[in-house]
Amino acid sequence: KMPPFSYINCAFQISDEEQGYDLDLFCIPKHYAADLERVYIPHGLILDRTERLAREIMKDMGGHHIVALCVLKGGYKFFADLLDYIKALNRNSDRSIPMTVDFIRLKSYQNDQSTGEIKVIGGDDLSTLTGKDIIDTGKTMKTLLELLKQYNPKMVKVASLLVKRTPRSVGYRPDFVGFEVPDKFVVGYALDYNEYFRDLNHICVISETGKEKYKA
Amino acid sequence: MAEPSGNNKAADRGRGIVIPDDWPGYRLDLFTYPAHYSEDLDSVYIPHGVIMDRTERLARNIMDDLGDHDIVVLCVLKGGYQFCADLVERIKVLSCNSSKSLLMRVDFIRLKSYLNDQSTQDLQIIGAESLSVLSGKNVLIVEAIVDTGLTMKTLLTHVRSFRPNMIRVAGLLVKRVPNSSGCLPDYVGFEIPNRFVVGYALDYNEYFRDLNHICVISESGKQKYKV
Repeated sequence: KMPPFSYINCAFQISDEEQGYDLDLFCIPKHYAADLERVYIPHGLILDRTERLAREIMKDMGGHHIVALCVLKGGYKFFADLLDYIKALNRNSDRSIPMTVDFIRLKSYQNDQSTGEIKVIGGDDLSTLTGKDIIDTGKTMKTLLELLKQYNPKMVKVASLLVKRTPRSVGYRPDFVGFEVPDKFVVGYALDYNEYFRDLNHICVISETGKEKYKA
Repeated sequence: MAEPSGNNKAADRGRGIVIPDDWPGYRLDLFTYPAHYSEDLDSVYIPHGVIMDRTERLARNIMDDLGDHDIVVLCVLKGGYQFCADLVERIKVLSCNSSKSLLMRVDFIRLKSYLNDQSTQDLQIIGAESLSVLSGKNVLIVEAIVDTGLTMKTLLTHVRSFRPNMIRVAGLLVKRVPNSSGCLPDYVGFEIPNRFVVGYALDYNEYFRDLNHICVISESGKQKYKV
């Protein structure tokens, strides 16, 4: 059964049948007790996988100054933890790579539909990216990559915590992937449902109660 | 030692961990740090682990004061991102494991006010359109460092214009400076002398954010990364 994209690194695949874990087996914030169905990817597992991605990134991008570009808001936890692991590698080996950080926020103009148009908010003058290597964390990749091309970076790589298996995929695959997951709506670890659940450290499946309670 | 409850201000919590003027910091070779900064630092001023331990306590203080409310955490980029991530993480742990719970939403704002190591008067607020969501909410501003206090004052005035219900400020570092505006955060990590420090997301012209301890930059570092 061939996946729709080709693999460079082996990906951590979560099958369509995966049910996740019972909430009672983990600690979750009391205020979300009724709003979640299952723990889908435990926080510790996210960290362990991220630690490995950090090593892959260093191996791949070693030797050049890196600009780590965080796509807010959903990318901020993954960004912070990934950089922590990269920093740990930097201070514990003889080889280290200077890294600067920047933050951007993407807003599309038409409701929640991903259109071709994005507005980039924040970020330094992006011409500073020229000649640098970039890793990017977040969702709306193809459009952002097009935008970044104008600034002539030396190399652009993308790290994404989750990649969804979906028939709607444009065929784009990030260079570094945490988990490949089914097309389920998940929350937690900075992924939100109408701004809620960013303060949840596991990636979870939201319950019907939760969907109703936090509806827009 | 019983903590007073209710409307706590900075005076009740003290000034945080007070670092005296003559504190030399620790020798670099007692710790690990990125090899690419080996010439650029003088000393480790506040080790990462101590920052984490102090942050853990600040999280508890915040939970004691604000627990069982909903708050919006307003993270001041870029310097505040590390402290904010770690502070929010500690509060999350308490929300799972203590008797209280704090539902947090997170938002980001960006201020630009330093050139080299000098605090300038020029303050730009970016990402400000999104602040209308603060109306009627309890806001916790999370900032890495309070220097003259001018930035904080400007930011508070700006945030107040959106009519939040309540504003609290958590600052990891507060500098003892002669020209302070007297604006003190409600939750203070460390009170430090008037020295230029880097690391733990605090930068010198964008460098040193990828350093986990708070350190003092060396003269050669200042020259190397000067704008």
